[in-house]
Amino acid sequence: MILAQIIEQLFKRPATNKFPVKYMPKSIISFLKSGKPIVPPVPTPPRFRGRLIYHRDKCVGCEQCGRVCPANVIQFVPQEKKVRFYLARCTFCGQCTDICPADAIEMSSEFLLADYNKYSKNLVLE
Amino acid sequence: MAKVTDEQRTYYTIPIGPTHPSLKEPLQFSFDLEGERVVDVEIKPGWNHRGVEVLGMKRNPLQTLYLAERICGICSVSHLIAFSRAVENALGIPVPPRAEYIRVIIAELERIHSHILWAGVAAHELGFDTLLHLTWRVREQVMDILELLTGNRVNYALVTIGGVRRDITREQEPLVRQALRYYKDLLEMLVDAFLHDPTIELRTRDVGVLSYKDALELMAVGPTARASGVKKDIRVDQPYLAYPALEVSPITPDLFRPEIHGDVYDKIIVRLLEVEQSIGLIEQALKKMPEGEIGHASKEEMTELLVQIKEREGEGIGRHEAPRGELFHYIRFQADSEIPILWKVKCPTYSNLMSYRPMFQGAQIADIPIIIACIDPCIACMDRVIIRREGREEVWTAEQLLAKSWEKTRRLKG
Amino acid sequence: MELFWGSVVILFGGVILGLIYQGVDRKLAARMQARIGPPLVQPFRDIKKLLVKENIVPENAIPWIYNGAPFLALAAVVTVLFYLPLGDQRPLFSGYGDLILVLYLLALPAVALAIGGFASGSPYAVIGAQREIVMMMSYELPLAAAIVALAWRLDRALPGGIAAFSLKEIAANPIWAYLGPLGFIGAILLVGVLLLVMPAELSKIPFDIAEAETELAGGVTVEYSGRNLALLRLADAVKTVVMGALILALFFPYRLGGILGLAGPAGGAVDTIFFLIKLFLVILIAVTIIRVAAARLKVSQVAYSFWVPLTGVALAGLVLIVLDGLFFM
Repeated sequence: MILAQIIEQLFKRPATNKFPVKYMPKSIISFLKSGKPIVPPVPTPPRFRGRLIYHRDKCVGCEQCGRVCPANVIQFVPQEKKVRFYLARCTFCGQCTDICPADAIEMSSEFLLADYNKYSKNLVLE
Repeated sequence: MAKVTDEQRTYYTIPIGPTHPSLKEPLQFSFDLEGERVVDVEIKPGWNHRGVEVLGMKRNPLQTLYLAERICGICSVSHLIAFSRAVENALGIPVPPRAEYIRVIIAELERIHSHILWAGVAAHELGFDTLLHLTWRVREQVMDILELLTGNRVNYALVTIGGVRRDITREQEPLVRQALRYYKDLLEMLVDAFLHDPTIELRTRDVGVLSYKDALELMAVGPTARASGVKKDIRVDQPYLAYPALEVSPITPDLFRPEIHGDVYDKIIVRLLEVEQSIGLIEQALKKMPEGEIGHASKEEMTELLVQIKEREGEGIGRHEAPRGELFHYIRFQADSEIPILWKVKCPTYSNLMSYRPMFQGAQIADIPIIIACIDPCIACMDRVIIRREGREEVWTAEQLLAKSWEKTRRLKG
Repeated sequence: MELFWGSVVILFGGVILGLIYQGVDRKLAARMQARIGPPLVQPFRDIKKLLVKENIVPENAIPWIYNGAPFLALAAVVTVLFYLPLGDQRPLFSGYGDLILVLYLLALPAVALAIGGFASGSPYAVIGAQREIVMMMSYELPLAAAIVALAWRLDRALPGGIAAFSLKEIAANPIWAYLGPLGFIGAILLVGVLLLVMPAELSKIPFDIAEAETELAGGVTVEYSGRNLALLRLADAVKTVVMGALILALFFPYRLGGILGLAGPAGGAVDTIFFLIKLFLVILIAVTIIRVAAARLKVSQVAYSFWVPLTGVALAGLVLIVLDGLFFM
């Protein structure tokens, strides 16, 4: 019966992970500046598909990644024969890492990518 | 509140949607009411059309794969399986057996998460938020397993044309089995919480009844049809992937209670029993899974695949029993082009939409949310629009629409 | 003058108490659903925010009724508070009215809400208002049966000449002391009935059909915003306290200070704390647990369950108490 279960749950810990903090602070900016620790997010499993890592020196400029990217994340820069990633569009499918012949693209387990500006330094990978 | 005058009676019309708390996606209903009783309903889709098919005809299938996945957020891998099967059929690309088993495992995991999610939404529509929180909490386990197997929590990007992209390793198998055991233990509690709860029984018994005849005539699919007793399941009727090797049979509510009523209660029964069936299917698949290749995973193979797509031509269909019913993809390629010239998607909600009308006959206002939710509608999948010339108001008659669809069929035939 | 200050204290005290109990209710409901839930002060923040928001009057509303209804609801519900014994206090207006008046005043907020709903010119609000009226007609009979039974029995038990419907007398003479075995069973039934009438009176799940978020998007309150909505929320919060205090006054008016033999300020403090704990328990059982453990019923089912089974139980309780009064004196 659901009644027994809810009474039992009343004395258990809530299931919610308190990431990043339990309640919203009065001022987010001063909270961030204060450097207080935040509750960590739920850990990611191995081989998680997170933010892309680009090894610029390994890249041979073959443009294969751009051919398989479903979201037009990858722009080819002809002058340098390198590519540029607009991560705000990335859908984390990982096809570019699979097809790259020089292993120049990798996926990390980082997933906290929110930003105010989609062209911010954090979200444009060169 | 407009008054609609019938010959003798006066009906009130209330609009539900395009935005309303009981709708998770935009769809417009307008109900003719007599007091609290629904007399008739008109359904107007077209608020959420995104033009995905057109987008898919401007890029190569490897790019379209994960666009197809995003047609629906809940049954994403179903779209992926149906799409890649369509492309494989069209271009004659073989799929290794192990990859087929992995596809089955992911598809059935997705069915578990989709049905549990639906159960929570249904409870919320009934005002039973405790069950919403409970079901969504236990759903985390299957999401974690999907994240472990594929690297992504929602849109898994696991299936590719001619195989899958990640193998299920020996270390992962016990974790999957552990999650299955968790759900087996849990199922008893869920059945108790949903099917033996007095308030839920009061709200769902003999509500939203879809008779066997209506379900057949209106071409309902998936759990909606099976809850009315129609034994219709693509996994059985037209076996594909590894399903022929597995024991699977259509679930109907008479497995749980003697008669079939076709009401919302039956739809809950079917979905909960299908969770149990999916657990069994995954266990069988894990046991029978052969060793070997998983398909186009390496760099060379992917490049090779792109070349094949460009060279070959043909047309193909892909069908899959998604959590909501039969999903259908059609694709057609020309030689010397990697871009398909046609891509057509028909998703289960499109087939089930017509069954709303008989279900709403004689319902009360209070039944509207649960009846809307009971076919597990996915509006984003099924939305259709007609483009009208600017500034011209016109109403399309049934004949005109029929002529339009003939025209489209002729265009598809080429 | 004492009356003036007393009413000011009760007005603000009632509002604050209501909001605190609302916070506790939300927090406990969240914990039962394995959530963290909002902080206890969240209802105060909600009210503060609503008060600074724009007060929108829909185009086809009737402004004076639409704006007046929330005031009427809050005023009626606070007035009830003046007639109820709170903590160690005698009722503030003890000489001016009795239980019958309280019964009528309790119906007023629902009527005000329904009028406001009809005046707001939205189909959802009109349906909600119709449902509110049906609800009111459903729960009035069991409520009245319970109260009449109690007052009649007390009138018979006590020496003649006292006002039977006076809450002061009922609170001063706990009913349980005068009951024989039959009456005891009857009184238990009536407590059960009142605990089920309470969520209906407060429009909580499973009886929140007048607001029904997923069906009517808020029902009677769908068009309300800003200050008006804040007043409705306050009325709702105070009503929780009122209903709880009414059940306590009728059935559990015991004072811990009196039992321990404390007097003066110390006794008053003990009484107040004891009263708050009793109130919390009533709200926990009648509001929080019921609303967490049930689905919303349909209007026809609510009407049926109040008119047939619950009225039956209330009448059975009444008959048992009458029999008790006639034969076990």
